[in-house]
Amino acid sequence: MTPVPGTAVVITGTGVRTSVAEDTESFRTALREGRCGTARCSRTGPGEPAAGAELAAFDLAAALERRSGLSSGLRHSALRAARRAPLGIQVAVVTALEAWESAGLGRDGPPADRIGLVVAGSNLTGSYTESLYPKLRAGRSYVPGRAALHLLDTDHVGVLSQVLDITGEGCTVGGASASGNVGIITGSRLLALRAVDVCLVVGALSELSTLERQALFNLGVIAGGGDGDNPPVCAPFDEDGGGTVPGQGCGALVLETRESARRRQVPVLAEIAGYGLALDGNALADPDENGEFRVMSAALRMAGLSPEDVDYVNAHGTGTVLGDRTEAAALRRLFGARPDGPWINATKALTGHCLHAAGVVEAVATVVQMTGGFVHANVHLRRPVDAALRFAGRRAEPAHLAHALSNSFGFGGVGTSVLLSARSG
Amino acid sequence: MNSAPEVLEIVRSNIVTVVPEIDPAEVRREVSMADLGCNSIDRAEVVALTLEQLGVAVPVAEFQGIPDIGSLVDLLRKHL
Repeated sequence: MTPVPGTAVVITGTGVRTSVAEDTESFRTALREGRCGTARCSRTGPGEPAAGAELAAFDLAAALERRSGLSSGLRHSALRAARRAPLGIQVAVVTALEAWESAGLGRDGPPADRIGLVVAGSNLTGSYTESLYPKLRAGRSYVPGRAALHLLDTDHVGVLSQVLDITGEGCTVGGASASGNVGIITGSRLLALRAVDVCLVVGALSELSTLERQALFNLGVIAGGGDGDNPPVCAPFDEDGGGTVPGQGCGALVLETRESARRRQVPVLAEIAGYGLALDGNALADPDENGEFRVMSAALRMAGLSPEDVDYVNAHGTGTVLGDRTEAAALRRLFGARPDGPWINATKALTGHCLHAAGVVEAVATVVQMTGGFVHANVHLRRPVDAALRFAGRRAEPAHLAHALSNSFGFGGVGTSVLLSARSG
Repeated sequence: MNSAPEVLEIVRSNIVTVVPEIDPAEVRREVSMADLGCNSIDRAEVVALTLEQLGVAVPVAEFQGIPDIGSLVDLLRKHL
């Protein structure tokens, strides 16, 4: 897909909340310091997932209060719409507001019907559903009618559109762990098609139910073990990687046509210069080197760049042995074994695997590193699976990152790669 | 058995839980929840919370179309 002239898509605002940060600035600090949000789960026994990277206690009113600069009207509207909503919706509202304000949309923006909304993620209500079963068993009348709304993934779309008065196109999109990138690609296409001038993309928080968490553990995806009080860690691209750690996180991006950003005179953080999205034709949880190579190549082709132009890869890197080896092989095939190859790290080492939100959280991580001039550490990497790839070390490194790929691969063979460029003008 | 004032107190507390902007003093028998600013979703939740706290298992449908808080309290008391 060749971009239509004049419809280049840029990022003008970011919002993020993970176990290690409550907004973009604290995320930048956490990445620089290599802060890891993983903690041992309480009350777990053998055969159960032992670690998670969960959000610190979250209070909607307090979180809104801390967002200085927010108009009292927006704060009130957010509280009224989301106060009784599940955690994921509340976190999405605060994270989206950060992106909204940072893009200057709180002050001025295009008409409401020229703004779109894409929420990335499916099956977001497992934990909320689980919490309602005791009420159902105690008495059918005790199930709150509002659950009929909150049990829909699209409740995110409804609540965010109400709070921010968005009346353009809107939907949820899914792609398992690649959902976030599918959201970014969908938003970019709405802009390229000129369906809207601005598109808010939100990667929704995954609050796993006990059932979902256990199924992932039994499939061998989630790390077990650990040592005494030390939880198992997510160690992407390490020979000894023992599985991933589920993370709670939410990311938000304001995407916009370059034309609209110029008209509004807002700073551009990065450009979405290309992307690839392709299926492996495979229903399983098996990664596919060919599919991963194809989507990264497609992103480069769309941007008109060659592998030598890429300075950095924010890898999918989940910490699972097969997944990381497969991605390393795809990276080796694309970039070769060059000492000056792109820096490679994986933000999941710090935030855990933020599942549906991962693509958006990691796009924010990529923007933060590009604008901050560094690559964050691979904090748990001791024995790299491929010595010829240029993995970031155990400390953050200063780096000039003009072009970066951000990968996300999902169960069921959903492959995605998004190319972010610092180029301006 | 809960008296009418006690049931009103439970309803009042649930209204304020669901919509904290509402002044508890405004929750009186002769006003409706809609007048106070509760939307349809808020009203359904107030009823469900109150039924749960009173341990009353009555189909929620019976509570539709109630004109004011006094009528709600009286209907709830019938099922105690």
